[in-house]
Amino acid sequence: MAMQTEYGRDPGHVIDRIVLRGALSETSHLSEWAQRLAARYCIDDELQFAIYLCLEEVVSNIIRHGYAPDHADPVTIEFSRPREGQLVFTIEDFAPPFNPLLAPEMPLIGAGGELPIGGRGIRLLRVFAHTLEHERTVAGNRLRIGFTDARAQVPQPQCASL
Amino acid sequence: MEIATEELPGGITRVILAGSLDIAGAAAIDLQMNVIAGAHNTVLVDLRQVSFIGSMGLSALVKPARAIKSRGGKMALFGPNQMVAQVLKTSAIDTVIPVYHDLETALAALQ
Repeated sequence: MAMQTEYGRDPGHVIDRIVLRGALSETSHLSEWAQRLAARYCIDDELQFAIYLCLEEVVSNIIRHGYAPDHADPVTIEFSRPREGQLVFTIEDFAPPFNPLLAPEMPLIGAGGELPIGGRGIRLLRVFAHTLEHERTVAGNRLRIGFTDARAQVPQPQCASL
Repeated sequence: MEIATEELPGGITRVILAGSLDIAGAAAIDLQMNVIAGAHNTVLVDLRQVSFIGSMGLSALVKPARAIKSRGGKMALFGPNQMVAQVLKTSAIDTVIPVYHDLETALAALQ
């Protein structure tokens, strides 16, 4: 895991970045990173929950389904603020093409009324993310997950400006 | 992620979870939840101290619920915070595993 922080740049630029190795154990670093961002930018608990939920679902999906177990490429997540109150996380991978906006959702309830064990991540991502944009890259996928902080108009003097 | 159990009157086993039910949290409780599900028929999972849940955390609840239900037992969830409850609802977990916000109601339903 590698982290790179670039403070003091314009909101549209990347201001923080984390690179995870393609292993599920790396998601613990994701949790710490999201918590640090939340503290630095005074992101409230509900929004922090939604951000971490979406990031964990996307990263775990890439690692479990996009990468071969014995060939773990990195996953890069960048944080930027294109506009005041707007938080954007850009996730880049080296996985086969996969657009979560177009992927079919697994049935929530099985034919016999049973709960399937898995298959809920895509639905959670679509519901909890405020915006989603996908594009193919030369090597993999780029997914932008956007969130709007409704409190952005309220001054938060102890935090970096939203 | 922490897990503890408590035997309640009426043969109800209360499973108290505390922490984040993310990937690491789910892995930490998975085995113990399956052991509990294999040994108890009436289980109330106390989520009041669970701060986060993702899809892997949901799976850690669904697996024991299915095992208990397959033996004719009951499992219910109790006290999720607002965001955890929203995840349960979005995933339709709450349509198959009952979710209660009041302990007395939960215990009565499991009797």
